[in-house]
Amino acid sequence: MKCYAGIDAGSTYIKVAVINDSTLMGYKIAPTGIDCRKKSREMFDELLSDLSLSPSDIIAITSTGYGRRLIDISNETVSEIMAHAIGAIWTAPEGSKIRTIIDIGGQDSKVIVIDEKWETKNFIMNDKCAAGTGRFIEVLSRVLEVNVEQIGPFSLQAKTPCQINSTCAVFAESEVISLLARGKDRKDIIAGIHRSLAKRISGMARKASFEPDLLLTGGVALNPGLVAAFEDELMMDIYVARKPQLNGAIGAAIIAGNLRGKS
Amino acid sequence: MMLAELDNNSNLPAGIYYFINIMRDAFVKNQVRRYRQLQGRDNRKIIGTYCITVPEELIYAAGAIPVRLCGGSYEASCIGDELVPRDTCPVVKASVGFTSLNPISLYQMCDAVIVSTTCDAKRKLGEELSNYTEVWMLEVPHIKDTDGSRRQWIQQLYTLKKNIEKLTGRKFIGRRIRRKALEDSIGIINRARYQARRLYEIRKSPAPVILGREAMLAINAYSYDIAFEWTRAMSELNDELEALYHKGQFVCSEYTPRILIAGSPMIFPNWKIPSLIEEMGAVIVTDETCMGNRYLYDPIGTTEKSVKDMMVGIAARYLMPCVCPSFTPNEDRLYRLLQMAEEFNIDGIIYHVLKGCVVYDFELIRVEKIMKEKNIPVLRIETDYNPEDIEQLRTRIEAFIEIINSKKRKMKEA
Repeated sequence: MKCYAGIDAGSTYIKVAVINDSTLMGYKIAPTGIDCRKKSREMFDELLSDLSLSPSDIIAITSTGYGRRLIDISNETVSEIMAHAIGAIWTAPEGSKIRTIIDIGGQDSKVIVIDEKWETKNFIMNDKCAAGTGRFIEVLSRVLEVNVEQIGPFSLQAKTPCQINSTCAVFAESEVISLLARGKDRKDIIAGIHRSLAKRISGMARKASFEPDLLLTGGVALNPGLVAAFEDELMMDIYVARKPQLNGAIGAAIIAGNLRGKS
Repeated sequence: MMLAELDNNSNLPAGIYYFINIMRDAFVKNQVRRYRQLQGRDNRKIIGTYCITVPEELIYAAGAIPVRLCGGSYEASCIGDELVPRDTCPVVKASVGFTSLNPISLYQMCDAVIVSTTCDAKRKLGEELSNYTEVWMLEVPHIKDTDGSRRQWIQQLYTLKKNIEKLTGRKFIGRRIRRKALEDSIGIINRARYQARRLYEIRKSPAPVILGREAMLAINAYSYDIAFEWTRAMSELNDELEALYHKGQFVCSEYTPRILIAGSPMIFPNWKIPSLIEEMGAVIVTDETCMGNRYLYDPIGTTEKSVKDMMVGIAARYLMPCVCPSFTPNEDRLYRLLQMAEEFNIDGIIYHVLKGCVVYDFELIRVEKIMKEKNIPVLRIETDYNPEDIEQLRTRIEAFIEIINSKKRKMKEA
């Protein structure tokens, strides 16, 4: 059996995916920690034993993400932009014609505009701070004492979402604290946070002259509150990738197997 | 550090070491013996300059030595950070940092510095520097095409000439910039520019014989060298590169993505962007910045050899071909970029915006528009001298190069 692996060594999580010619065989997701090389090797070995595969079954490994150059078991590296563009071939819901991918990572967010051949036409990334990233939500959810998993459902219950103007994680934190001091409801604040993030990234998407359909990837896509905020902001339906967290790893694996044509 | 990285590369052309050593003397060894020697017994004056609109010909003609002080040092910009507003560009921060604490002695050695009033930050820079050293402001008009601004500009150059003469003149015996000296110095710098143009011509070759980060370093070294010595070293480097070209010893293939760097200057030792671009598999074949092509390209043309005529020639050279975005209107820059894109067969443009440099960012909109028509992708990179964002920039640059590669692949297939 021909198997290929993709390792997405992100700033917050490492994602490993193993595919064969047509399906995702298995995957692993774990926090990156301090030693991304060791961690990804361990995860890769565990995944192989889970799937009862031997290393020789893996024909090629491609790595992507911030730690990509540290991964010594991979054969080649690709940028996250390319990995996400290609990953969408497998993770886009059926029937969608994806032309734009919005990936919200732990350290940066990106808007990638692709053509019908899944080639990147244009991309835009946020600047070096945490504005508009997964970290932004993480920091604020800590201030509000909410689990990251809960904030999506919470925000959907909001009655009158608050206005959060700052997109800087640090300034937004003081803005949230002042909203709490004014006795605002936590759910409304969370909805405001989602709006603020969606606003910033939608601005990036417009700057990159995005085209429909739009696919949301990255772990943040699992948050229904944020998806709703995006739909409000862009006034259109948004597709959420199947396994949004794995999009980059799957993309890297597809590149390893050079399977782009066989979607 | 950048210099150490370069040294480890055994494939460098032999001629490049001269320029590496100049940078090493200035920034690493902090060695000013060269300058002391140059000052000599008659204690020649050293004059610092902060912009390419300062005519170095006048300084040489007065028997003084010009040094271009714009240094791209992160450490110096951190020092300057405390002395100027937060949103000031890193060039100005580093200039103030270097001057206030003198981490490299070159700054202290200058008897006077000349600051051009090109942008808001530069205008205020002069005032800050005057706390530490003698500053002469040079008022550069922002609109080139009016008689008034040309008159004003030439008047400014005459004032500058007088200032330089006053500084270099000995007591009782007036030492003026004389006709012969001015003619000679115009010749010296025109020859330097000729060698710089030769280097750019060589870089037009389909498969490059020199990497951009090295070529840019060699051009940048002019700031800290004496014009005729630099010219000699550059001419040797050019001979060597031409020989390499004929032998077919290329640094990368003709399929390597060819990048044009435009925008805010890359100033040594801030070599972050050039290093990243070439590490990620592209080659910089040319640049449109005031530390490269714009600095040393156009020669001075004079018809008669009278001081007045030469002053007019100098004034014209330093104003008319300059496409610094501080001028308005600045359509010339777009033409030049289009022309360069064609001549150097560019695949993509990396447009560098130094944080706080508004004029360059403004012109990006127009550059993107004209390049879209030519189907040349433009990547905007906003950064400063801080190394904190290297990995983020790497991702962006790598993805940009991937896009170019896939475009080239498609064109090859078609």
